Amino acid sequence: MISESEGGIDTPRTVAAPQATTDRAAWALRAAIQGLGRPALAILIAGLVGGLIILLLGNNPLIAYGILWSGAFGNRISVYSTLQFTTPLIFTGLAVAFSFRAGIWNIGVEGQMLFGAFFAAEAGYLLRLPAIIHVPVAFLCGIAGAVLWALIPGLLRALLGINELVVNLMLNPTALLITSYLSGYPFKAPGPTNKTYDIQPTAQLPQLTTSSQLNVGIFIALALALVIFAFQMFTAEGYELKMIGLNPIFARYGGLNVTRSLILVMVISGAIAGMAGVEEALGVDHAYYDGFSPGYGNQGIAIAMLAKNNPIGVVFAALLLGALNSGGQQLQLQTNITRDFVNLLQAVIIFFLAAEFAVGWYRYQRQAKGVPRAAVAAEEGT
Amino acid sequence: MNQIFDLELARAVIRISVPLIFAGLGGLLSFNAGVLNIAMDGFMLVAAFAAIWMANLTGNLILGILAAMVAGVALATLFGYFNLRFKANIFIAGIAINLLASALTALLLVGIYNQQGSFVPENIPTIPTISLPIIGGIPGIGAIVDGHDPLTYLAYLAVPITAFILFRTRWGLHVRAAGENAEAAEVVGVNVFWIRMQTIWLSGAFCGIAGAYLSLVYVGSFSRDMTADRGLIALAAIFFARGKPYVMLIVAVLFGASQALAIRLQLQDQLPSQLLQVIPYAITILALIVVGIRAKYFHTTVRGITFGS
Repeated sequence: MISESEGGIDTPRTVAAPQATTDRAAWALRAAIQGLGRPALAILIAGLVGGLIILLLGNNPLIAYGILWSGAFGNRISVYSTLQFTTPLIFTGLAVAFSFRAGIWNIGVEGQMLFGAFFAAEAGYLLRLPAIIHVPVAFLCGIAGAVLWALIPGLLRALLGINELVVNLMLNPTALLITSYLSGYPFKAPGPTNKTYDIQPTAQLPQLTTSSQLNVGIFIALALALVIFAFQMFTAEGYELKMIGLNPIFARYGGLNVTRSLILVMVISGAIAGMAGVEEALGVDHAYYDGFSPGYGNQGIAIAMLAKNNPIGVVFAALLLGALNSGGQQLQLQTNITRDFVNLLQAVIIFFLAAEFAVGWYRYQRQAKGVPRAAVAAEEGT
Repeated sequence: MNQIFDLELARAVIRISVPLIFAGLGGLLSFNAGVLNIAMDGFMLVAAFAAIWMANLTGNLILGILAAMVAGVALATLFGYFNLRFKANIFIAGIAINLLASALTALLLVGIYNQQGSFVPENIPTIPTISLPIIGGIPGIGAIVDGHDPLTYLAYLAVPITAFILFRTRWGLHVRAAGENAEAAEVVGVNVFWIRMQTIWLSGAFCGIAGAYLSLVYVGSFSRDMTADRGLIALAAIFFARGKPYVMLIVAVLFGASQALAIRLQLQDQLPSQLLQVIPYAITILALIVVGIRAKYFHTTVRGITFGS
């Protein structure tokens, strides 16, 4: 992308969606490879900034990154831990990416996830059902809770045109406070920690290992990524949502019901966000713990931006952040660098990917030459 | 109930509102210039740390406050430049700044002071209090208003000053022009980029004072994430007031009152504090709904908040 902007390509390429299925897959693959440049650069910059901070804190960056690596992939236990962190991050990454792609800024994933976890934990505790029904029912309850919360910004945007970013910004701390109240007072289990009662054994997601909390949630996450990929690549509805994201006014003139799609996107994105919480409540914690999330929702934003909203890319970006989370735990144990280091790297990644640098200049040049904005954006694979 | 509402609570409301007012004034300037400053919480947090760091190093409060303002302005430069020059989405860039501030200060807290939770420096002098000559003598009000520190009085004084600058000076006119219609402002010769950058810098400086007040004056220590979303609450006050300084002051004091009450009730274990802490966010969402209804039926769109649909 950057080299293109320097070279200057004068002939506008047509970006109409290819007809044949194989062509479309090849086109997606090419776009994915082309798109690697900027995320790779952002990761590199984050690594350098992180290295400087490590130096500032009086550590050797190479040794620190070595600890980070071995904490993420050093042995079997650390790989399990990485995968366990990756699971909720795939969900939150998918939730954010799904909405961003359709031009809706669902940055309220954190709050939706909290409600998903709380509702799933309560359904897991209160209901008495055989395991084969209990798990799906608790799963759906969690999703329902998250969707209800996601409908607030969705409906306000659709019906009154209120910026969903502002609403989500206010709803995230609200969700944290409400779930904190619920798990600290009316639904609190006896004991010193603020948590709900443990869920019934029938509601627990099956564990994959005996030495970690890794559970079947990771397969659900991977399957979901594939389903969303197929939905976006091969269905008319998926294509419509992308068009709405690129240019809602044009999409409306093209006969699409933008309002309906907007609510649909928030519902689906909220449902996926809820699954992150469900997986944590039913698979990892087996209850709702106040403050269980180290910011999975915000990490989802970094993941979606790294993946350029591509669901398959989300899996890999989630693995990267999962590894950082897992390695960050080791780093905290062995040095004076706390787990906040991961958030620092993530902040730098978000910051640099949010900026448009050369791409912005490139887009400006193309637009000045009369290439429609949507065409330029599509070309960049956004 | 007589244990809850007393003189001390009223004084606490005045003090706890100070960071909200400072941050609110800074954010209000950029709001009027058409920039939603989501990053105020990050500015405040870094400033709060810088204030404690410098004050601990020198034993001087003024230097601490200056360091906080420098830190706020430095972070504001980063934020403003990325937003205005590189067209970063302001919400995403703001989230990144807040995340960065939280992580950086937590890392430095361990790195410099070897403290995980909070650092209490011992050499920081307490800020002197001022006794007001005439108002202090008024029965009732006097006991509430008298004897606070200079920064507190500065916060309340800064409101009319900001209002004057915004509505009675040429620069203020340019700010509002940049916010209301950037294209038209450019046509008549206002440098919108420059005006917006100036307001972002000012909000950095204001948030710097807010952060310094929080760490140096209000508690005398730094603890991780000590701003507790005050930047967001200040933003909520600005939204609610739609950029009007005096309305913002009233809203900020109301939000401050709910905070002071939350602390009081938590201490007495009478009501879950979370329910009171929710108030600013809930009120803001209600205010947004009102703004949305007005936009829809009376066609008064508010830049950045409502879309003409």
